[in-house]
Amino acid sequence: MPLSRRSFLAAMLASGALAACAPVREQLASGRVAAPPPSVDGQIWRALSRLTFAPHPAERERAAAIGLAGWVEEQLTPERLGDAELAWRLQGVPSLSVDVSSIYEASEADIIADLRRATLLRAIYSRRQLYELMVDFWSDHFSISVAKGDGGWLKLLDDRDVVRPHALGSFRDLLWASMSSPAMLGYLDNQQNRAGSPNENYARELLELHTLGVTAGYTQRDVQEVARCLTGWGVGDGPFRGQQRFDAAAHDDGPKSLLGAAVAAGGGARDPALLCEILLAHPATPRFIAAKLVRRFVGPGQSALEASAAAVFAQTGGDIRATMRGVLLGPEQDAAPPRLKRPLQLVAGALRQLDAETDAGPELIGHLARMGQPLFAWPTPDGFPEHDTAWSGALLQRWQFALALADGTIPGVTIDLRRLAARAGGDGPDAALDGLATLLHGAPPTPEIRRVLLETAVQHTAEDGLPLALALLLAAPAYQWR
Amino acid sequence: MLALPRWMPRLAFAPPKTAPRGDALVCVFLRGAADVLNMVVPHGDDSYYTLRPTLAIARPDDRRTTQALRATDLDGFFGLHPALAPLLSLWQRRELAIVHACGAPDESRSHFAAMDLVERGVSTGAGPPSGWIGRHLAAHDTGNQSPLRAIGIGEATQRALYGPVNAAALTSIADFHLGGSGREDAAFARALAGLYESDAVLASGGRATIELLSLLERLAPGRTLAGGGAIYPAGDFGTGLAQIARLIVAEVGLEAACIDLGGWDTHVAQGGGEGLMARLLADLAGGLAAMRTDLGDALARTTVVVMSEFGRRAGENGGLGTDHGHGSMMMVIGGGVRGGRVYGAWPGLSRERLVGPGDLAVTTDYRDVLGEVVLRRLGNSRLDLVFPDYAPALVELCAPL
Repeated sequence: MPLSRRSFLAAMLASGALAACAPVREQLASGRVAAPPPSVDGQIWRALSRLTFAPHPAERERAAAIGLAGWVEEQLTPERLGDAELAWRLQGVPSLSVDVSSIYEASEADIIADLRRATLLRAIYSRRQLYELMVDFWSDHFSISVAKGDGGWLKLLDDRDVVRPHALGSFRDLLWASMSSPAMLGYLDNQQNRAGSPNENYARELLELHTLGVTAGYTQRDVQEVARCLTGWGVGDGPFRGQQRFDAAAHDDGPKSLLGAAVAAGGGARDPALLCEILLAHPATPRFIAAKLVRRFVGPGQSALEASAAAVFAQTGGDIRATMRGVLLGPEQDAAPPRLKRPLQLVAGALRQLDAETDAGPELIGHLARMGQPLFAWPTPDGFPEHDTAWSGALLQRWQFALALADGTIPGVTIDLRRLAARAGGDGPDAALDGLATLLHGAPPTPEIRRVLLETAVQHTAEDGLPLALALLLAAPAYQWR
Repeated sequence: MLALPRWMPRLAFAPPKTAPRGDALVCVFLRGAADVLNMVVPHGDDSYYTLRPTLAIARPDDRRTTQALRATDLDGFFGLHPALAPLLSLWQRRELAIVHACGAPDESRSHFAAMDLVERGVSTGAGPPSGWIGRHLAAHDTGNQSPLRAIGIGEATQRALYGPVNAAALTSIADFHLGGSGREDAAFARALAGLYESDAVLASGGRATIELLSLLERLAPGRTLAGGGAIYPAGDFGTGLAQIARLIVAEVGLEAACIDLGGWDTHVAQGGGEGLMARLLADLAGGLAAMRTDLGDALARTTVVVMSEFGRRAGENGGLGTDHGHGSMMMVIGGGVRGGRVYGAWPGLSRERLVGPGDLAVTTDYRDVLGEVVLRRLGNSRLDLVFPDYAPALVELCAPL
């Protein structure tokens, strides 16, 4: 005969798994246990779900205190948000400060592991959540796979020197940094693009994926002319391996004509910079970039918002921060339908909300890969897919992660489930479930979820009832959406 | 491995009074625009050797090159890349047909635009968002309720499978379990089944995943299925093909499977008879040949289609690779295939015959091939639903069911 809900939870709480835990008692005595998550209204929860990897109680408190608009504004100026805890954690990733002249002394596998580790640590622990989501966006927009050529070494430098400095800055600076990035030039074969023997790969993706978009109406001839502008613009070798290099002898210095603009003969190394200006001035570029930002941060089917964002982008000469302000603070954000969490959002968000301790090692990275997001290893230059359907096939892998995280079987990851449950308060046994659901889903469980959680957990002993309840909250459909 | 009586799954999944189930369709997509001119080599076209002074695959009788690096003649005009040699026995048994200069009308030369159109089976960006296989499955009710009716190998299902019939994304049968203790897994799955029923978007995927967990638990408790003993190339592609072959042989209701092989965007140093692309070809041919061995008699009810989004430039580029081109090539393998023949009109590679910046022309629309497979091997006559903006013309490369 099943226990009643109250007696089950009372047994669970009294079993030693929860209430008798010494560290919890000490923390209770010292008053250091954080308050239960504040209840925030649905609008703030929805917005925070979109603009963080997942809302932590600290963000909810902050947003409740200063209002959503104030919170967004704070996130838009990340340099003013102290991030000491993250900085401390990143000290364990020394290769982040290595320069190109010594990066090849490390193994490629170690450098890739460090980049992934840093990315996950930032997503989980940084207070600059919106900034990290912007970095994630640009990492897809200017996608580079570590699996090709020197990408394993050079993507770490591209992440540090191209994407991160400009993620909320000027698109002009970002595009030029990317056009000068050895990682990008190597990844898209531009070091092979030489006068008389052009290689169109980078030229085509620069137009199609990075600036104008495939529907902008450019022609195969435009692609070939862009490739001519970029001849000789590559990456060095020998002692200059991994450094950007212009080889004048390999540059096609004749006159070029592309996208209705002319590039005079004799431009030499100035051709790529001129090309950058032509791409920035093309009317398709603001439309394409703004539409991508809106699709990522609000959702599909927002043509009016895309148009207004494109106008801001064009008027400000590609000011990403100004463009994002309009995208994030419009009425569309609150009305937009939910989006499926991408695996990085699910994993980093869960660890963030659960105050997990992790070294962000290969086991966690492996879970991401099995869900379809092997960080920095999407095989094609279009970046991880945007539409929800691309991610909805891997439910089993999401459930595996939920179960493993709640059971504490992911090496290098620990959560203090008893402390989390205790934090929910001592008003009654239902509080554990209410607290966990409010922490993860933003509200106490619906009657249906509560019933399922209880029915499932009742079949188990007290020891594994709470992990199973947590696994269900993490695997529930509600937790797959943001 | 538990040996199940073969009839059991079919009994369970094939109710009466539904459309007859045709072949199991296996769609192999070569992502990145495979250089088909170096796969099925037009060694009888002199322009090929002019355009590719470095990359061309030597003629079958070119004594200046070691035999291992020459093309193997198929019909006096075309030859197979040496790394595709594992496919020769299929060719000789007439189980392999080739359609050359075959492709899509789209001339964007964009991987992403082209894959989108080809997988949806449409000519323009307009038209249904679903995939051509997804629409085929929806239009052809075989009464098959198996959670394995359609599968995509990988973390996500391929666009061609999108549609109202749920397709399962499957990386490996061996990994298809929840990973907790058995008792905990059962309770967890039961609870999830209840929770997912009320999610409008995820309900069908959740239900299918739970059914698949349960099916595989019954079918193969140790998560292994017997194969025919064939040796597959190491890696995801070989593993995926092995899973597909074993599911077809086990008769668990598989009607369509998609699998990808990537890495074909060979702008640089693609190699000739050996090198980068030859290694991909060895993976492709070794995998297909092993699958054919594993299928055994089940080849009679299997059709495999190999395709890519477009072909590559006829001439080599300065980096000893090839840039994006136009015309492609398709392979069709199966017991119902009229193989041992290269189909399609050859447009030629002389300067005036090339299109755009110097690309192989398309003389057969890829939907002519797929349409014939759908009609004759899958038994679905509603080609108007599968290819809504195109009326396929038969190539006559398949026997009717």
